[in-house]
Amino acid sequence: MTNHWNDIQHADVILVMGSNPAENHPISFKWINEARSKRGAKLISVDPRFTRTSATADYYSRLRPGTDIAFLGAMINYALEKDRVQWEYVKNYSDAAYLVNPDFKGPVDLDGAFSGLTGAKYDKASWSYQMDENGIPKMDLTLQDPQCVFQHLKKQYSRYNLKKVSELTGCDIKSLETVCDVFTATYKPELSGTIMYAMGTTQHTYGSQNVRAFSVLQILLGNIGVAGGGINALRGESNVQGSTDHAALFHILPGYLKYPKANQPTLVKYNEDNTPKSKDPQSLNWWGNTPKYIASLMKAWWRDADLETAYSYLPKIDDGKNYSYLPIFSAMANQEIKGMFCWGMNPAVGAPSSRMIRRCLAQLDWMVCIDLWETETSAFWQKDAGVIPADIKTEVFLLPAAASMEKEGSVSNSGRWGQWRYKAVDPVGHAEDDLWIINQIVYRMKDLYKNDGGAYPDPILNLTWNYGKVGLDGRVHNPSPREVAKEINGYFVTDKEIEDKAKKEIKKFKAGDMVPAFPMLQDDGSTACGCWIYSGSVSDTENKMMKRDPADPTGLGMYPNWAWCWPVNRRIIYNRASVNAEGKPFAKDKPVIWWSGLKKVWLGDVPDGGGDPGTKLPFIMVPHGRAQLFAAGMTDGPFPEHYEPLESAVKNTMSSKQVSPVITRWDEKAKEKTCNPIIAEGCIAATYGTEDSKGFPVICSTYRVTEHWQTGQMTRWLPWLDEMVPHQFVEMSEEFAKEKGIIFGDKVRVTSARNVEGIVAYAMITKRLKPFVIAGNTHHMVGITWHFGYKGLVTGAIANDLTPFIGDANTMIPEYKAFLVNVVKA
Amino acid sequence: MAEFIKLIDITKCTGCRGCQVACKQWNELAAEKTTFTGSLQNPDDLSYNTWTLIRFDEVEQNGKMNWLLRHDACMHCDWPACVKACPSPGALVKTDEGPVVHNTKFCIGCKSCIVACPFDIPRYSKEKENIAKCTLCYDRITDGKNPACVTACPTGCLTFGTKEEMLDKAAKRAEKIGGFIYPNNPKYETHVLYIMPGGLKVADYSHANPNPKMPTTLMWWKNLFKPFTLIGIGGVAGLAALHYLIKGPHRVHEKKEEGGE
Amino acid sequence: MSAQEGMVRVTDPVERIAHWILAVSCLFCVLTGLGLMFHSWSVIPELLGGYYATKWMHIFSGVIFTFSLVYGYFMWKKDCEFEEDDLGWILQGGGYLWQTTKLPPVFKYNAGQKAFFWFLVVFGAILVISGLIMWNPLIFPVMVARFAYMLHAMSVVVLASFIVVHIYLGTIGNPGTVSAMITGLVSKAWCETHCPRWYAERNKKPESV
Repeated sequence: MTNHWNDIQHADVILVMGSNPAENHPISFKWINEARSKRGAKLISVDPRFTRTSATADYYSRLRPGTDIAFLGAMINYALEKDRVQWEYVKNYSDAAYLVNPDFKGPVDLDGAFSGLTGAKYDKASWSYQMDENGIPKMDLTLQDPQCVFQHLKKQYSRYNLKKVSELTGCDIKSLETVCDVFTATYKPELSGTIMYAMGTTQHTYGSQNVRAFSVLQILLGNIGVAGGGINALRGESNVQGSTDHAALFHILPGYLKYPKANQPTLVKYNEDNTPKSKDPQSLNWWGNTPKYIASLMKAWWRDADLETAYSYLPKIDDGKNYSYLPIFSAMANQEIKGMFCWGMNPAVGAPSSRMIRRCLAQLDWMVCIDLWETETSAFWQKDAGVIPADIKTEVFLLPAAASMEKEGSVSNSGRWGQWRYKAVDPVGHAEDDLWIINQIVYRMKDLYKNDGGAYPDPILNLTWNYGKVGLDGRVHNPSPREVAKEINGYFVTDKEIEDKAKKEIKKFKAGDMVPAFPMLQDDGSTACGCWIYSGSVSDTENKMMKRDPADPTGLGMYPNWAWCWPVNRRIIYNRASVNAEGKPFAKDKPVIWWSGLKKVWLGDVPDGGGDPGTKLPFIMVPHGRAQLFAAGMTDGPFPEHYEPLESAVKNTMSSKQVSPVITRWDEKAKEKTCNPIIAEGCIAATYGTEDSKGFPVICSTYRVTEHWQTGQMTRWLPWLDEMVPHQFVEMSEEFAKEKGIIFGDKVRVTSARNVEGIVAYAMITKRLKPFVIAGNTHHMVGITWHFGYKGLVTGAIANDLTPFIGDANTMIPEYKAFLVNVVKA
Repeated sequence: MAEFIKLIDITKCTGCRGCQVACKQWNELAAEKTTFTGSLQNPDDLSYNTWTLIRFDEVEQNGKMNWLLRHDACMHCDWPACVKACPSPGALVKTDEGPVVHNTKFCIGCKSCIVACPFDIPRYSKEKENIAKCTLCYDRITDGKNPACVTACPTGCLTFGTKEEMLDKAAKRAEKIGGFIYPNNPKYETHVLYIMPGGLKVADYSHANPNPKMPTTLMWWKNLFKPFTLIGIGGVAGLAALHYLIKGPHRVHEKKEEGGE
Repeated sequence: MSAQEGMVRVTDPVERIAHWILAVSCLFCVLTGLGLMFHSWSVIPELLGGYYATKWMHIFSGVIFTFSLVYGYFMWKKDCEFEEDDLGWILQGGGYLWQTTKLPPVFKYNAGQKAFFWFLVVFGAILVISGLIMWNPLIFPVMVARFAYMLHAMSVVVLASFIVVHIYLGTIGNPGTVSAMITGLVSKAWCETHCPRWYAERNKKPESV
């Protein structure tokens, strides 16, 4: 979230697209309803299914799964055509006026592709700004130059007119126009519109570009950095924000630092590659601080090693390789990976093509599962899983873990608030908290390396491990999360004097002092910090995540002393974009920050960057300080362009490129049989126009309901939740049921290219789904929840046994929301 | 103590069913072994162990899809039919604060209340031989807390407060959204009120009684026949006494018998 | 048959037992019913061991009442069929209310007794049927169940009043009557007064000594 949960109350229009907050984020509706009843805000629901959110929305429009960019493209085009653009914002705070490399060509000229396409990759040389003699991007503030970003944008989206988009997405033109009209009305400086999205946006073949399309729209309307605006990812788990912040992902280090690659053998090279530069004096170019953050991180992990040595301890990613779901499980299938820790994770149900995943698990020598209950993953070898236990050689260990209320620690919510929680009850039975478990593993690993040696013992033996009181044996027995929080915040490793240039004074710190905030982090190894964005959360005297002061000095619901928010307790990021060059808020009734000319200070929220009004650009995380309509960092194009999902029964009408030319095509490898047979079977796709697709004409989407959570492991053991949704079901329209002769109470079998035996579940026949008519053809859609598996008090078919293996070109996020199946009466 | 009202702003309900679970949790009600109902409404009806429930109705109107979500539970009538019908003192009690509470200790399982209720709320357990229903968390509200369902409701659909406060709030909100208050029968007040959206009728919602009132049969029974039972017995007994006093017993005249047995 | 000297046997033991089962179950139903209907009469349920016990006693005695009613119906039906003379009897109030000259001679039961029988049968049947519905009201449509409650209450009003009349006339209102349902024997004079035609007919049959 750029903003935070209770900021939604300040929105004038709320666009819910790719999420279903009524069902999946019920608490958010407190603030949605607050905005509606206090401000008269309008709620728009855009969803292929008529959901519980749609039921309470003011406006509803449906769209065919996988056509989000087309829909948003229509909204962008509508804003441009009707002059619904906040010009002051766009000209000053976005890159609209920057001139683009003359060699750049877009989908209009290149039939759906961008310049630089070679094979299945873009050479991004032409995706750049023209620089002046000072190294600052050239601008045309009239926005008339055909090479400026704005003109390129306009040119690309002029193709996304209402008629074409309504035909492509399957929504009726009237509701599309209404949505465009209502939402783009927030271009007025005093109005703000927020976008609430979740997995319906991201879990797509083009998930990243879907979010990018939100950005483009919100920048044009001037809705980022303001109260009641922003692009707000509704995180699916109480602490998933914390888990990404702390890099529970393969491509980043804590604090979103880029993960080192094999061709960056030294820290110097790493910094060279990953530190963006800007010569614009107005740009803060925050990532320019990368060397300080990586150095501090290395010190946190290997305090006694020098920086280069510590960096050398880090494993490196092979260039061009990634470690998302499929490569990992493919390596398992090939028995390259022999053991696995599955920590609070249930891939046997939650991963795409999960039947294949379970087959891969059977190739492991050992697996350790750490969870609250016996998960499907930990029981993949049992009869319940449909296998013969004697055939499976994997040795499985299940360690019982403590639940969130049985342990202490911090939880970061979607609004980036780190909130401390305390232990309420002792864990049940032999269950232990995660920190205790990992503490045990670390010491045992150190012992093994010490006693038995090993390929490369140094990184483990030298690992700094000091999270609590040391016992007589020199070891920590009861690790404390409070000590971990201190390391995350950062501390001085050596005594240090730091000059504050603004105040012209020198601050002295002693070794062991907490780092006050990340501007104090150093690149010389004098500071250690576990996650730079959390620097400032713990001081020498207090853990600010424990704060619970309900005072609200701005009256905007920012509660600066309630918990602690990264970065530097800034509640709305990019808030400098909410004021004009004089520091006056665009929306006077909901000012996030404002400049006090008298006191010469910023008031309100913590502003992005210091300095007088008009001296610094607001988007401090991009090199040139201006929001990027043109995002060269994307792998698959600087502007979002519509392509069909990999499995689609519809021809792309925007260009001849049916799918993006640069997505990872596991299905092609499967077809060529150049991969492991287990992987090959699990990756087949029913791509458009092929023989394979003929048997799978029905669009399918997986989703969640309020009553269960994720793979159901925490909810299907609770009778009160089970009674509400006791069975797996397949939602379908009355029209489709009639066509197939399916009646109330029937079970249906749903099959996909990857699973021809299919899964069986009850048919839920409803008016809430309707067939899509695209280019004169009727396309039916079904929906399946993915909460069910074979363990728990209630069980049901696993929806992901059907889903495809496709990776988004940028993040490798799987496609769970748009694929093809066949449905027959069981 | 003040009188309270639970206000259900139906336009704010998202059907998350937090109320349904909170009710079970606070009142320690067992989960039911449910089956597939064809809709998200599950359990498909109120029961001895399900005192509140979200009802889901799919209604299409002039091409517009409506998914009606309604929190259904005891309405806590001001003049409750169930209490009127109940033969066992203390089994159903109308409290001063508004809630109509049941006490399984006194309930004799006669089911009269179930028949009498205009909203079809009380539910019977064959094993326990008594009834149960929503108590508006009388145990919580007399302790200054909100009912469990209201506490759990994240959307502002369920609110709770004093009668005056809630009536005022309901009137304002209904006017603002062009909706109406249900039930709005001044002769049949309840301590639970709905704010219904305009454009829909109460009858569009399943299991809702558009015109709730005390059942006429119950009125005849309790207001007419019940007193007449005593009037009848007493009156006739009185008349018999009068007859005895005035006419005296009807004596048989003994005659001298000639023959026979 | 050994009758007492000068007495006439008007009932046989089966009839008397049936009558008393019917009477006692009916009175017990009324008593428990009143206890359940009037909270102020809580003394009844309290004496009987509580409301729950009272409910079951009411149902149990109702079941006995049902069977005895059915038995009584078949037993007394023939003697209680109305005939022409009954109109005359009724028009003269059975001689109970004012001085009458000539009452039509009664066979076994007079018109008042017959009326009581038929009221008992009709309203007893309503009570039984409505009572059965009230026992399991949830398997019936709610309107049916609600009517059952109302009709049950209504029938009680009618029957309870008639029972009072029946008791009065069967005891102190007509001295010498009650023995018909106790010993089965009444005086000859009683017979000549209350059922002259039956008595006369009986005397014609020597075998019925």
